[in-house]
Amino acid sequence: MKLIEAYIYEVTRRLPEKLREDIALELRSTIEDMLPEHFSEDEVKEALSKLGDPAHLAASYRDTPMHVIGPKVYDAYLWTMKMIVPWAILITILVHVVETIVLFSGEESILSVVIKSIGIIIANIIHVLIQTFFWVTIVFIFIERIGLAKSNGSITTYGSEWTPEQLKYVHVISKKKVIPRSEIIFGLVWTAIWVVLYFNADRLAGVYRSSDGDGLQMVMPALNQSVLMSYLPIVLPFALLEIGLALFKWKERQWTMKLVAINAVSKVVSLTVFIVIASNPALINEAMIPYLANVLEINSSSVQNFIDWAVWTIIATIIVTVAIEIYDSYRKAKA
Amino acid sequence: MEPLMESFTTELRRGTLTLAVLSQLRTPQYGYSLVQRLEKAGVAIEQSTLYPLLRRLEKQALLTSSWDTTESRPRKYYVISEYGSDIYEQLKKEWETMTAELKTLLEGDENDEAD
Repeated sequence: MKLIEAYIYEVTRRLPEKLREDIALELRSTIEDMLPEHFSEDEVKEALSKLGDPAHLAASYRDTPMHVIGPKVYDAYLWTMKMIVPWAILITILVHVVETIVLFSGEESILSVVIKSIGIIIANIIHVLIQTFFWVTIVFIFIERIGLAKSNGSITTYGSEWTPEQLKYVHVISKKKVIPRSEIIFGLVWTAIWVVLYFNADRLAGVYRSSDGDGLQMVMPALNQSVLMSYLPIVLPFALLEIGLALFKWKERQWTMKLVAINAVSKVVSLTVFIVIASNPALINEAMIPYLANVLEINSSSVQNFIDWAVWTIIATIIVTVAIEIYDSYRKAKA
Repeated sequence: MEPLMESFTTELRRGTLTLAVLSQLRTPQYGYSLVQRLEKAGVAIEQSTLYPLLRRLEKQALLTSSWDTTESRPRKYYVISEYGSDIYEQLKKEWETMTAELKTLLEGDENDEAD
């Protein structure tokens, strides 16, 4: 008798409370039915082994699925992860980069700040990913068990049951035209870094000098922040435009002629803005020239020539890069 | 039986068990009596499959159940409901069509080999 009680207990403890009593009663009468009038322990064992592993028996009584994320919602689960994970990484990087630049006091050398930041960013990304996986999974377990598990169809990435209508929204993208998501994310991070640099140029870009073996310290800013800020009304819209363009690329996922055109116009105009700002003679901090002349032991006009030469080299490089990028996107769109 | 074959057989049998169970419940049966009836007819069904199946069918309103406590040990009797009979008839028809179709296919196969 003890064996039977133990078996019934092992089955019912795995079942919902409200089913336990009924199933226990049914099981007991069934087991007794299987046994002769006066039964031995061996006969009980034989009967019970016919019923099989109590865990299995309990599992087959349950209506709720045993799997955590079932096939019904698996697609939607994966899709959600793919959508959230890149953004989680991007935002983590961005927050940290912005925070570091804003809090940058110039007391530490840039190199050590960069190395430290990379470490912190990696740690933060791991942390954020664990959190993301945890919470998204929790939500989907909830959906699986309670919400949508009752409907028969599977939950597709469109959030409803599958119909052939959805095929209309399927983008068939050729590999040659595709814009990698990583490229877009990199573009966004790049834009954000430039914007932050722009607002903090006087604290970041300048002449650094090692003094008293104390690491590098900023001696003077290279640029005139107030001149730089006077271009804000032009710069800000273009930064927003760049972000908008990145989102548009994200949506389209492939190079189209329309995207190539918008991209080219945006790049050319922002390049123009860049040239206008860079060619403003007041942009360079006035104190820089005599300082550099003194340090390098050459005359001021040579320094001025050198700066001009550096500025135009940078501009030429950017023009070439932009031209290549535009041509490349055109080639991909045509493919 | 090798595992692959076993999984194929299980798959083949799974759907037919409901039909087998429904066919035997025109008169009320309790769990073990049903097992015996099925065994006598040569239908081997694991008890651990049968009892949960009975509950599921009851939940789906194909069966109704009642406890009989007049005898020395209480027994739960299951019997087919009106809705269950409807479903059973439809399933039976479906089964007959399917076996007929499959028979044609399988016999055709044998003839092909004979050629």
